[in-house]
Amino acid sequence: MTTIPAQYPDPRLTQTEESRQRARRKNVRNFFKSLFSHALISFFGLFFLVPFLWMLITAFKSNEDVFHTPPRWLPYDNVRVEVNGQELPLYNVITPQGEKQLAAVKIVEGVGTFVDPQHPDRVVEYEIQQGETKIATPVMHVSFRWQNFPDAMNRASRPSVDASFWVYFKNSLIIAFFTIVGTLLSNAPVAYAFARLKFPGRDILFVIVLATMMLPYQVTMIPLYLFFNNFLHWGDTFLPIIVPAFFANAYDVFLLRQFFRTIPEEMCDAARVDGASEWQIFTQLVIPLSVPVLATVTVFTFLWAWNDFTGPLLFLTSPKNFTMALGLQDFQSQRTLVWNQLMAAATVFTIPIVVAFFFAQKTFIQGIKLTGSKE
Amino acid sequence: MDELRMTDQKIWPPRFRKWSRRERDNFKIGMLFLLPWTIGFLVFTLYPMLASLVYSFAVYHARQPLEWVGLKNYIDLFQDDLFWTALYNTLYMVVIGVPLTLLASFFCAILLNLKVRGQAFYRVVYFLPSIVPTVASTILWLWILNPQAGILNTVLGYIGIHGPNWMSNPAWSKPGLIMLGLWGMGNTIIIYLSGLQDVSVSLLEAAELDGANWWQRLWHVTVPMVSPITLFNLITGVIAMFQYFAQAYVFRGFQNLGYPLNSTLFYSVLLYQNAFQWLKMGYASAMAWVLFIIILVCTLLLLKISDKFTYYAG
Repeated sequence: MTTIPAQYPDPRLTQTEESRQRARRKNVRNFFKSLFSHALISFFGLFFLVPFLWMLITAFKSNEDVFHTPPRWLPYDNVRVEVNGQELPLYNVITPQGEKQLAAVKIVEGVGTFVDPQHPDRVVEYEIQQGETKIATPVMHVSFRWQNFPDAMNRASRPSVDASFWVYFKNSLIIAFFTIVGTLLSNAPVAYAFARLKFPGRDILFVIVLATMMLPYQVTMIPLYLFFNNFLHWGDTFLPIIVPAFFANAYDVFLLRQFFRTIPEEMCDAARVDGASEWQIFTQLVIPLSVPVLATVTVFTFLWAWNDFTGPLLFLTSPKNFTMALGLQDFQSQRTLVWNQLMAAATVFTIPIVVAFFFAQKTFIQGIKLTGSKE
Repeated sequence: MDELRMTDQKIWPPRFRKWSRRERDNFKIGMLFLLPWTIGFLVFTLYPMLASLVYSFAVYHARQPLEWVGLKNYIDLFQDDLFWTALYNTLYMVVIGVPLTLLASFFCAILLNLKVRGQAFYRVVYFLPSIVPTVASTILWLWILNPQAGILNTVLGYIGIHGPNWMSNPAWSKPGLIMLGLWGMGNTIIIYLSGLQDVSVSLLEAAELDGANWWQRLWHVTVPMVSPITLFNLITGVIAMFQYFAQAYVFRGFQNLGYPLNSTLFYSVLLYQNAFQWLKMGYASAMAWVLFIIILVCTLLLLKISDKFTYYAG
């Protein structure tokens, strides 16, 4: 707090000593005000930042460190030494000759077999714990266990299942891709009709579109489930999740219509005078002008499809068809949990969205504002 | 908000007259453009709506034929203890969770609207959690709330608070879920933030010249100016909370739905359980329609009350 920004006002304007002092006081006040603001924003920011970091930190923890109490803020791992061509964890062992650092060959039922790294031929056995005192404690150091990521991705949600998180990741990508394609293809013409075409019945239909936003998914969920499973026999395929995306939805129609209405009507009229059909105006004039909003729709559809849990839960039953969301939930529902791998998988699940966010930050914010505020 | 006013012409009462040839042509073109939506509406919205209405008056186990029972499902519903438990749990989230989220996001938006350096960075920090997928964020919070190795109780321990057992204590499971919701409220913050940026500077300066202090400017200028946004966030928040499902489904871990002691048995969770675990499709359809009616009534009620406290500029 020794440096105070010395941005005095122009001396020609502050002639008197009194006004100079006043300016200095104002600077000091502004400095503390901004310091206080930073402190406040950072303090509440911790609530958002720390859990996020905790996911990453846990993803790098070793099995020995995950359940350490109290939890440690950095990932720790055993210090390992090479003895006789084997990587062995190092322990602090209290021996009759004093405290020594020994490598553990194996620890079975409270009895550890140790070897002295300096003298690989000397193998000794000690009980890990004698009464209250711990005889052998592992030597730990800060270490990021990258291996958790391949371990997590190569495993399945439960041991008996013949699939892996790579498969879930691929399934999520496939579903997201086709959902985006369907959404882009189907919503734009509908939105164009509501925004720029004049025909009888348009407005009442648009009110119906908006009314469907109010309808909770729970109302249509059961008949849709029966329709897809028992009538079309699409159970346990991606089709019930992907196909509806090809038939427009109220949110995207509304979003696109709002944007199409900002395109000057005169441009469309000019094209009409030149003899362009409505389809030509739509594909050759309106669509090229709408790239930003189509990007918004793409990003949000990806976000939605990637995040979706209920759809896959209803329709995907065999583990080879699970999405990341479903696989992660299934993994989490196991009795014995490896939290570091779980967090590693959750991180991989989150990464595509975070990457998309940093590439298209403006698009994200714009989309939220478009859907979230008044016309 | 102005959804019903957003169309150009009055649509009600409808005027019936014969269409001209030109109108007929326009109608044909219009309907061609609307084709994707029309099919989707008929197949994926209207048909399922009517079907679930029919199921709601029947006993239906998917494989056996419908058995017509009239209003029995609805009567049973109101005598079902689980229904009232689920309704209570859901209302708890709607009445406590939603207003708390609005208040907290308004507060955060004010912080992020302060004129300080590095605000772009802070905004990313506040927003980032909201794009973490629901299942991932729920699992992360299960880990944070873990009684043995969770960091929340550790941090609470630093300031001398002995944290509760969030996941297995029925009194604390819903506050835990509300906290998870607060963590991911970035969208609401952004919407408030854009509203704050629209609040006219001249109005605030005029108030300042009149001697209004910070709090008075906030309460008498900013809050009324963003009231339409509050209404929007309130209504979307309430609608979403009545359908609260994925978080609760994941939050129980390997336990039964509703763990601990049905304290996270929300309306949609009970509906899912009835429909897909107990295969009581008719009963679940009745639940869905009751939910629809509750949501409709709440929305209309909020819109009605809102006339008194929202201010539309211009």
